[in-house]
Amino acid sequence: MSAETLALVLVVATALGFDFTNGFHDTGNAMAASIATGALKPRVAVAVSAVMNLLGAFLSVSVALTVTNAVVKTFDSHATSAQDSLTMSGDKLLAIVLAGLIGGIVWNMLTWLLGLPSSSSHALLGGLIGATIVSSGWEGVNWVGDGTKLDGVVGKILLPGVASPVVAVLVACLGTFAVFRIVAGVAVKQVNRGFRWGQVGTASLVSLAHGTNDAQKTMGVITLALIATGHWNSLTSIPLWVKVVCAVAIALGTYLGGWRIIRTLGKGLVDIEPRQGVAADASTAAVILASSHLGFALSTTHVASGSIVGAGLGKPGASVRWSTARRMVGAWLLTVPAAAIVGGTMWIVGHLFGLAVGSVVEVVVLLGVAGYLYLRSRRQDVGAHNVTDAWEIDQAAPNVPADLVRGGNR
Amino acid sequence: MSGAFGDDVRLAGEALWKVLVASLVLGAGLPAVFALGIRSLAWGAGGEAVDGGTGTAASSGNPVGKVLAVILFLVVAYGIVAGLVFVIASGQGKDISFGHIIPTITAKS
Repeated sequence: MSAETLALVLVVATALGFDFTNGFHDTGNAMAASIATGALKPRVAVAVSAVMNLLGAFLSVSVALTVTNAVVKTFDSHATSAQDSLTMSGDKLLAIVLAGLIGGIVWNMLTWLLGLPSSSSHALLGGLIGATIVSSGWEGVNWVGDGTKLDGVVGKILLPGVASPVVAVLVACLGTFAVFRIVAGVAVKQVNRGFRWGQVGTASLVSLAHGTNDAQKTMGVITLALIATGHWNSLTSIPLWVKVVCAVAIALGTYLGGWRIIRTLGKGLVDIEPRQGVAADASTAAVILASSHLGFALSTTHVASGSIVGAGLGKPGASVRWSTARRMVGAWLLTVPAAAIVGGTMWIVGHLFGLAVGSVVEVVVLLGVAGYLYLRSRRQDVGAHNVTDAWEIDQAAPNVPADLVRGGNR
Repeated sequence: MSGAFGDDVRLAGEALWKVLVASLVLGAGLPAVFALGIRSLAWGAGGEAVDGGTGTAASSGNPVGKVLAVILFLVVAYGIVAGLVFVIASGQGKDISFGHIIPTITAKS
């Protein structure tokens, strides 16, 4: 096996690993509210979400080859043949993509351990940014785009990252307020039964949208690596096997259920009830669909978290646990720089050893870190059995090992 | 660089207000319609479904409430189906037009 083939195999495997973490990291975006209100049993909720993600992934036939282009100049979409379209050599591309993927996975695993919802797309792009800075210098990164459309780090990460949670908070807050005013005086039992049904519909829609958007990113990354190594020649389609494995990887990840994150979203921010759940899920679905319709790239996680906070603010007399919200926003701010540091470090490690050995070393390091974080999580397990337990008062993160929480107990 | 940064901010602002308006109509409007549906249903059922009221008129229930509830739930269902069609259409690389009430799949502009 040539060095390039070995590196390609490792890139594909790592990309699928990222897709898997993307799945369990984001289960809560669609299902946290439904699980918290009891609209769906935890196991049923993650199964529904997994099926919707699988369907969504298969529905997406449009090609997301340009996903890396948002932050790295890898790809010239005006080129006529696939190989001509690459702006760098295949080896260089493989090295950047592998290091970037590892940066994304490590950040996803760490934030999952801490029970913090954070954007998987930002983690992947952050990893790529780090790898690009150390390999090609500051100028290799697409910081602001060319001014004709929203692009680059500013247009695809920074501005949507600031704006989308704010929009979600507003929409969910207003929706919750309206709902509470309208059903005031109706028997609570009847209201809750009706609203639980409403939640199942909107949550499924969010899962489907997640499958079409997020699985497509990994499909794009793998296809890009195949083009870089001369194994694929089309710019307008992707190999069927890539679509199948990506769809299965994200669905399996979703089914695993990122219980720690589901718990934070469903119980930690707001003690959510069915009326708020419908408003939050409808807000999440509407903001995601409206933005993708209008070409505004945003993170499902930021929108879902914002919607839940909004639902908490909109209920008369309800409260939001701001200590949890602060930890979450802190994680959002750190996502890109932290993933970039890991991505950059991994690129250097790979570079020191050369493409073949370096790629193997990087993947071994990744497996070691991921294994450590997993073992760490077993100390204080969160699963379907305890995901909806009452959130302990005055604690920012009850299910996180105490030595990992700093300043959260206020 | 500052020029391109300014362009990004301007483009984001242009996209953002449209996102906000569409999200408010669908994301806050549809739950409100759904809530009206639940309220109508309770009105239709009468009796124990409505608490806190005097109970004189509501106790016997009202068929108009049920009809109204069905209409309101249909509006919500239309919104969810439109969302579904949109997700599927954009997955296929198509766009969707809401110009004729029934969502129409169109080629992406």
